[in-house]
Amino acid sequence: MSDAAVIAHADDSHAPAEAHAEHPTATGIDTKKLLMWLFLASDCMFFGTLISTHLVYRKVYPYGSNEKGIIDIIKTFDIQLTSFSTFILLMSSFLMALAVSAMHKGQIKSFRRACIGVMIFGLIFLTGQVYEFTHFFDGHALYTFSVKTPQGETISSTYEGPADQVRAKADLARRLYAEHSDWMALPATATAEEKALTPAAQLKLHPDWMVTAMKQVKVEKPSLSMQNSVFGSTFFLMTGTHGCHVAIGVLWLASMYLYSFTGRMQKNMHGAAIDIEIAGLYWHFVDIVWIVIFTAVYLVEYIPGYNPTQ
Amino acid sequence: MSAEVHHLSHAELLDQENKRYHAFINLALFLSVFTGVEIVVIFLPFPPVVLFTTLITVSLVKFVCVILWFMHLIYDAPLLLILFVGGMLLAAGTMVALLNLLARSDVDPAVLHDSGVVIHSATRVDGTSIS
Repeated sequence: MSDAAVIAHADDSHAPAEAHAEHPTATGIDTKKLLMWLFLASDCMFFGTLISTHLVYRKVYPYGSNEKGIIDIIKTFDIQLTSFSTFILLMSSFLMALAVSAMHKGQIKSFRRACIGVMIFGLIFLTGQVYEFTHFFDGHALYTFSVKTPQGETISSTYEGPADQVRAKADLARRLYAEHSDWMALPATATAEEKALTPAAQLKLHPDWMVTAMKQVKVEKPSLSMQNSVFGSTFFLMTGTHGCHVAIGVLWLASMYLYSFTGRMQKNMHGAAIDIEIAGLYWHFVDIVWIVIFTAVYLVEYIPGYNPTQ
Repeated sequence: MSAEVHHLSHAELLDQENKRYHAFINLALFLSVFTGVEIVVIFLPFPPVVLFTTLITVSLVKFVCVILWFMHLIYDAPLLLILFVGGMLLAAGTMVALLNLLARSDVDPAVLHDSGVVIHSATRVDGTSIS
């Protein structure tokens, strides 16, 4: 009989007699729990290959790409944000342990409180990851640009935006249009289809209708994408897969949280404790994978000599 | 707790869960401190070998602590530990093998250059330059 089963036997008044009926297994371990551990062992290998691929390519391509200067990982990374996300995920694991403990004691309300906490922390982690991915992808650069007013005057200024020049020009054109829509000049060569488009679509296709000249002065953070570097490919694939796992965990916990209001958990506290424990195992696994990724992918980049661009 | 233990009184159960509760709190504090140590140590002027060793050790300790206490492996049947460690060893073995098998010299910039990858300047495996 497993630990959870033992505890469920001594559960509080939430557990009716039929809840104590338990199917014996050859191993003495609940079948669902055993399967979850087998799944986690296989997921270990899955993440093992993703992390290995990243580390191997990191070794083979010391600049993270075919040549120096395409990306600058230290400038791209935001270690403060990632450290905060790591802390949040560790604390979510702590709350998950409390949620499982509460279920073992049959305290549904305590479970719900802890479960809400885990979901909030999981969502904070995901938000941080989305923010991080967006900033990594955009990079940061300084530009000079010129625009022509309807009066024929040329105005020159500076702009800070994405490192990718095409996206930077589109972004600047969109911003300028928001303030000075009358500055957009459709050329005489514009086709009828182009003229029929909305201003937003026109600016996306032809930012030069708004911004007449633009020059990149300085790249402060190069863009990191799956297309521009090997580092970007392996990094986004690995951390993105981990993010998907976190998102699945949040959905799983949300379903367990809602399920706790149906009254079925109270009818079978033993089964419910096992189900929550399994969800908890998945969540803790996501946490331990991040412990490895945080060290092997983020922190090592700051060690002198590991990153040649440092 | 081993799989052979069958019955606990309600009071014993609560006592056991309360002990675990305190263990979880201690572990959460411990994990926070260790994460802080990891973040601080990378900015200290230690030799790379010391930094690598520290980071690997600390993350390994954090990893083991989470699987033992938060994931209840220390309280559960040993079979679960064996199952998980099996998968983990295969994953670690894959990682070590790949890192040892592949090296910088396995990538020939000339091959990339010839296959259309834009390379402004690099050195071929044979020592000649691409420009």
